[in-house]
Amino acid sequence: MTDTFTPEFAASASYPEIGVAEPAVQARDWPTILALYERSDWELRDRLVRTIAEIAGTEDFFREIVARDPDDLVAATALGTRLISIGWEIRTAKRAKDVSREQFAALHDYLRQAERILIDVCARDPGNAVAWESRQTTSRGLQLGVGESRRRYEHAVRAAPHFLGAQYNHLQQLCPKWSGGTFDKVHAFARECMLAAPPGAHNARLVIDALVEHYIELPAGEDKAYRDSPETRAAVVGAAERSVLHPDFQRTTGWVDTVSSFALGLSVVGAWTEAKQCFLALGNLASLRLWSFYYWRDTETQFRVVRDLALEHG
Amino acid sequence: MIEQTVIEGIPTLVAPASGPLRGGISFRVGHADETLARSGITHLIEHLALFRHGMADYHYNGATAPTVTHFYSQGSPEDVGAYLNDVCRTLADLPFDRFETEKEILRTEANSRSRSVLEPMSLWRYGAQGHGLAAYPEWGLYALTPDDLRAWVARYFTRDNAVLWFSGPPPANLRPVLAAGQRMPLPPVTNALATTPAFFCGPEKTLGLHSVVDRGAAAQVFVGILERELFRSLRQEGGYSYTVATDYSPTDAKTAVIAALADTNPDKQDAAIGAFVDVLAKLRVGNIDQDDIDATLSKAAESLQHPEFDAARLPGAAVDVLIGKPVLSSTQIEAQLAAVTIADVHRVARTAHENALLMTPTPVDWAGYEAAPSSSAAPTRDATRYPMINNSASSLLLGPDGVSFEEDGRLVTVAFAQCAAMLAWPDGGRLLVGTDGVSCRVEPTLFGLPSESLAGLDARVPAESLVRMPARPADAIPKPPAKDAAAERAVPDSEPTGPTSTLGKVLTVVLRIVFLFLLMACTLTVVFRILD
Repeated sequence: MTDTFTPEFAASASYPEIGVAEPAVQARDWPTILALYERSDWELRDRLVRTIAEIAGTEDFFREIVARDPDDLVAATALGTRLISIGWEIRTAKRAKDVSREQFAALHDYLRQAERILIDVCARDPGNAVAWESRQTTSRGLQLGVGESRRRYEHAVRAAPHFLGAQYNHLQQLCPKWSGGTFDKVHAFARECMLAAPPGAHNARLVIDALVEHYIELPAGEDKAYRDSPETRAAVVGAAERSVLHPDFQRTTGWVDTVSSFALGLSVVGAWTEAKQCFLALGNLASLRLWSFYYWRDTETQFRVVRDLALEHG
Repeated sequence: MIEQTVIEGIPTLVAPASGPLRGGISFRVGHADETLARSGITHLIEHLALFRHGMADYHYNGATAPTVTHFYSQGSPEDVGAYLNDVCRTLADLPFDRFETEKEILRTEANSRSRSVLEPMSLWRYGAQGHGLAAYPEWGLYALTPDDLRAWVARYFTRDNAVLWFSGPPPANLRPVLAAGQRMPLPPVTNALATTPAFFCGPEKTLGLHSVVDRGAAAQVFVGILERELFRSLRQEGGYSYTVATDYSPTDAKTAVIAALADTNPDKQDAAIGAFVDVLAKLRVGNIDQDDIDATLSKAAESLQHPEFDAARLPGAAVDVLIGKPVLSSTQIEAQLAAVTIADVHRVARTAHENALLMTPTPVDWAGYEAAPSSSAAPTRDATRYPMINNSASSLLLGPDGVSFEEDGRLVTVAFAQCAAMLAWPDGGRLLVGTDGVSCRVEPTLFGLPSESLAGLDARVPAESLVRMPARPADAIPKPPAKDAAAERAVPDSEPTGPTSTLGKVLTVVLRIVFLFLLMACTLTVVFRILD
């Protein structure tokens, strides 16, 4: 344990490909991105497209490529996904009641533009899991219905079995804030994805996502009771044992996200021994995914403080 | 092989087949030739022409389609010959003692038959005229006179506007006597859509596509592929639908209407809509499988090789002769189908999308389809405004050129010059339907109209558009709301749920009017004009 420990939070540290893609897109070097995409699996392709779609101003670049080569479906997917990001930036991540009519109108306008591009991508290449996942987001934002989002999710996982990006997206759709349903469905979906994937797979991470989504929706008092219940602890530890703590767990695409998420989930339920294993496995790498959970400090500080606690108690 | 000959000056088609003789006469006239205010005239003539056969012991029937009317029978050559001779004789001398009774029968027949789900799509595509009349009740039955029928027969039921057809040698006793006339051109194909691809919100649990493409083998193959794709995607993959169906109907020598329908599983309606849109997109971008083309062709080959193929298509071939299109041999049809390539089907798919009109339970603007116009751009000019009693949010505007109805800023206008029909009830109620399909009600009980305004309205609507209706039951006459409905509705807006729902709300209001009118129409009389 040391005060001077400084984890590397940048995604480029965990994913060398991202380290290549970001500067390539800044330099408007499309062949490099395309080559990277071609040799990646679906999880990495998903991360690549979403990373470059987060970079401001790239929409004009993607549009130029599509205009030049309408058959470049990677560029079309990136353009559609970028338009979704722009829409969501305008909407902000606030709760619906705190978003203005104008912001919603702008979001929907961007989502419709994105949807039209992505309809074509999926029509030409029904096996494009990343495009289907982006269409899960447009379906959710345009409120086309849980059934329609589910259809798009099924297309995505048909193209890429156990595709975690699509599963997380559908988990969001099932959350009461989007579907008007209950958390029972969210937990059931997370568990179903975990059990369908082979032991050691990353998909059990969805159990932690469901826990966090549920916790932050509960009123003060109930949230702590839910967090501290033996059932919640058992679900989190069980998921860790099927995933990050399983001998078959592999450091494939997204492993730093998965292990960091479990480090958070296990710490939250007080499973310090298992949490410590996660922090040690991470070495100096870390992802702040889900780490806005505690609120009381900035996420990096939270990560360091909780890590110290785990190393001490675990 | 279909042989062509001429009997008594009438072009005649002969395609030998086994079994009893089938024979018919087809005229180039149908309900698309009519106007809304005189609609049903062809159907009524067809019924009157067949009245005397009521007790015949052989099979016979008549059918009124959009652009053709068929009379046909099956039996011994003598029976078929006598039937056709009699149909022609009766057309020249319709039994007008049966006039009111047959009108009543048609109204009853309409009530007992289910409406085709395709009908609303015709209304939105064509308006209240031409091919759009399929969506409307036969309101003309209330207005038609024997003279109207005589003039219609003289114009359309002539030997120069007819084709005979037989599934064997023409009967020896055949003497079809018809007056001379001329071959009548097809009615113009009207368009009520400002832009396509478009959509309108139809009933729950139903999806429909209506589009216009070039007639031909490629379009037929496209329809086959569309049905396979819809079945695969909506039924097999997702279980979103139970039934999918497609249809290909030539409208003239060059164009054809293609239609597709799917029901939806109530729990998965949203996914069914998404899958429907995606199937159309898949074909539009040319993602077409040669296997699907081959499967469609082999299905077509099966019917082409059927020994009865030529006899079965005689009524269709008669239509081709009537519209001046050469009758193709089965070998020619087969060759044309076999020559269809993926590129040809892709071309049809692109046109089908460009001209598409979708009927869906919820808006599909997100997929690039424009909302079909369901209101009017401007109110009628120089109008007097009559607010609805106890509902200041709604008003009726009566002007020298037309009427408008305004509610919550939404507007419908029917100009007298474009009034397809005005139904007039003895209690003063009026329903004006514009040729664009927009309708407007004038209810004196709701707006406190002075009787002179009503008289002025009746005088301005062209006489040929006026339909005097029988008295309505008292409970069908609308009553004004008890207190001010506008004030009651002044509730704050709910949380924003996006433009689709706002649009949905607007459309609901619009469609309530359209469907209210359709619903009312259903209680009066309902159309059925597809081939029996």
